[in-house]
Amino acid sequence: MRTLSSPPSLGPLYARAALTARLHRGDTLPDSVYAVADQRIDRERLAAYQRVCGFRVADILPPTYLHVLAFPLSVALMVDTAFPVPLVGLVHVANSITVARPVRSDELVSFTVRAADLRPHAAGRQLDLIAEATVDGATVWTGRSTYLRRGKPAGPARERTSPAERAEPGGAVSYVRVPEDIGRRYAAVSGDRNPIHLHALTARAFGFPKAIAHGMWLKARTLASLEGRLPNALTVDVAFKTPVLLPSAVAIAAQRSGAGWELDVRNARSGKPHLTGTVA
Amino acid sequence: MSTRRAAILGGNRIPFARSNGPYSHASNQDMLTATIDGLVARFGLQGERVGEVAAGAVLKHSRDFNLTRESVLGSRLSPYTPAYDVQQACGTGLETAILVANKIALGQIESAVAGGVDTTSDAPIAVNEGLREVLLDVNRAKTVGGRLKALSRLRPQQIVPSIPANSEPRTGMSMGEHQAITTLEWGISRKDQDELAAASHQHLAAAYDRGFFDDLVTPFLGLTRDQNLRPDSTVEKLATLPPVFGRHLAGDAATMTAGNSTPLTDGASTVLLASDEWAAEHKLPVLAHLVDAETAAVDYVHGDRKADGLLMAPVYALPRLLARNKLSLQDFDLYEIHEAFASTVLCTLAAWEDAAFCRQYLGLDDALGSIDRTKLNVNGSSLAAGHPFAATGGRILASLAKQLHENGGGRGLISICAAGGQGVVAILEV
Repeated sequence: MRTLSSPPSLGPLYARAALTARLHRGDTLPDSVYAVADQRIDRERLAAYQRVCGFRVADILPPTYLHVLAFPLSVALMVDTAFPVPLVGLVHVANSITVARPVRSDELVSFTVRAADLRPHAAGRQLDLIAEATVDGATVWTGRSTYLRRGKPAGPARERTSPAERAEPGGAVSYVRVPEDIGRRYAAVSGDRNPIHLHALTARAFGFPKAIAHGMWLKARTLASLEGRLPNALTVDVAFKTPVLLPSAVAIAAQRSGAGWELDVRNARSGKPHLTGTVA
Repeated sequence: MSTRRAAILGGNRIPFARSNGPYSHASNQDMLTATIDGLVARFGLQGERVGEVAAGAVLKHSRDFNLTRESVLGSRLSPYTPAYDVQQACGTGLETAILVANKIALGQIESAVAGGVDTTSDAPIAVNEGLREVLLDVNRAKTVGGRLKALSRLRPQQIVPSIPANSEPRTGMSMGEHQAITTLEWGISRKDQDELAAASHQHLAAAYDRGFFDDLVTPFLGLTRDQNLRPDSTVEKLATLPPVFGRHLAGDAATMTAGNSTPLTDGASTVLLASDEWAAEHKLPVLAHLVDAETAAVDYVHGDRKADGLLMAPVYALPRLLARNKLSLQDFDLYEIHEAFASTVLCTLAAWEDAAFCRQYLGLDDALGSIDRTKLNVNGSSLAAGHPFAATGGRILASLAKQLHENGGGRGLISICAAGGQGVVAILEV
C-alpha cells in the first residue's frame, strides 16, 4: 500500500511516463495499492466539470466524477516501472462505474487504486485499473477502467460486427454537437491532458487524423442526457468503440431496459458506433 | 365559493409577417404595444384600468424581463393596470387567456387582456458562452489584478455570438425533425398534408374576402393581411415543393415541405376577456365564454417514438377535458387545431381515431372517433396565417369566439401543441 498525502500532480507523471516508456516490461502486474485519504471536493472544479459534461451544477456528484479524482492515482500506478506496459499508447476500451449511493460534494472521500487481470486479447493485452471510493470506511463508488496495449495478438480473434447487421437504434435519440475544443475543455476540468485529446497536431503525432474526445467525457455526456431518469444507485457499464474525431456530432440513443437503460452512441452523420453500454 | 364563466369580448392582432420581412425592425414590445393599443381603440378602453394584462413571448430578450408591463405602460390603457409575462412556448397565447379567465371565474378580477407576441427577425442574440463566462468573472473580481486575470482568458473566437436555435435543448432536434418522425410513425401521407395546407390558405383568403377579420386585425407597418397567405394555393402547386424535414428518413418517408409546415413569422395578438357584468356595464357584446381548459405533456425525450411525439400532448389533454365536461369529441360545432405542421393536425386526428391507441395510452374504452372535417379550421389556421409562436393562441381564440357568435351559438374546441412536448386544449361556448 502506497498512501499519498495528496493526489499526485499529473504533469510530472506524464513527463516520467514519456521518459520511462522503455522500462515497462514483464507479464505480471504489481500488487501495489495507491491510496489517498479524506479528500475534500473542490466545488468550483466540480461545477466546471458539470458544465463541460452537460450535468446540472448540483451538490450530488455525477456518477463519473469520482473517476476524475481517482485518475491521478491510476496514472501514478501506471508510470511506476513495476507496471508491465508503458502508459503512452494505452487505449481506454471500456469503463464500468458502480455508484452504491449518491455522494455529496461536502463529503470527505478516500480512494484506492490497484491494477488487475492482465490478460491476452486479440489485439494485444488488456488489463483493468480498479478504483474504489469510500466515505467513513464504506464503499460508495467503484470504477473499473479497461485498457488495451496493442501488440502481437495474444488471445482469440474477436468477432467483428459488420456495418450491415447493425440495427438502427430504436427509441428516442438526442443529438449533441461535440465542439473542436471539447478535448481541451475536458482536459482542464479532469486533468487528463493526453495530447491525443488536445489538438489535431498533437493527435496526429499519435496516429489520429484529428484530436479525439475523451471517452470519459462521452460517457459523462451520455449520462447527462438521462438527467432525472437515472436510479440513485447504479452500475453504468460502457465499451468505447471508434473514437469521436473533433469536431463532431453524436446521436445518443437510450432505450429503457428494466429499471435502467441500453445505451448506443453513434456518429450522427455516418452511424459509426462510438459507445455502447448499459445502465442497471 | 361560486364561480362564473369568463366571457370573450373580442380580440385584436396585427397581420402576421414572414421572418425578416416588414417587421424586421419591430421588437416584441413594439408589436405588443401596437396590438394592445388596437384593442384599446376597438373597445374604447382608453385610460381604463383593466383587471390585468397577461402576455408573453417565446423568444425574449433578457432586457424584456417585464415585457407585458412595459407594453402596458406605453399603451393607452391606464398605467395603473398590472401585468405579467407568461411563457409556455406555442401554448403561451392560450395559456394567458386561461389564467386570466380563471381569475375572472373566481371573481378576483372583472376584466383582462390576454396576449402574445413573437419575432424571429429581431431575435435575441447572446454573447458567446466563453465570453459570457469571462465577462461575468471580470464583474465578480474584486481587485484590478483579478479583473486582469479574468480578462486574460479572452480569445478571438469568443466574438462569435450564440444565436438561438430552433431546436429542443434535450434532443438537439428541430421541431420539424421531431414532427417528421411522428408523421412517419403515424403514416400520414404527403397528399393529405398538402390538402390540409391548401384548405388553410383557401379558408383564410375567403375569411379576409368576406370581411371576417375587419374587426380582428389592425394594419401594421404597411401590412393589411397576413403576409404568408397565398389565396391561389393548390394541392398541385404544393405537390411540387421538395421536403425540408426528415430528409434523412429512408425512401419517400420525407413528406414535410415548406408548404405544409408553418414558416417563421413575426406578429402579436390580444384578446379581451371579462365577466358578463363588466361586459354589460361597458355595453360590449359577449362573443363566447371560455368554459374549461386542460394541459398535458409527453415524454418526447425518452418516450415512445409514436405515442410520445413532440407535438402529441394535446391528444392526451383532450380526453381529460372531455371527461370533466361530460362531452364527446363529436359534441363540437367548430374545431381549431393549431397547424404547427399539416401533419400535426393529421397525427392528432389519427390518434383520436385509433381505438388501440386510445385504449392503451389514453385509458379509454374505445376511440374518441372522427370529426366532421368541414368544421375544422374554417377560417384558416397557422399554415396560411403564419405562426408567431406566442401570438397564435390569441389569434385562434378571438377568431373562434367571433365565428361561434356569428353562428348564433354553439361550442368550439381549441387544441394547441407546444415545444417541450406540451399541449393546451380549451372549450368555448357562446
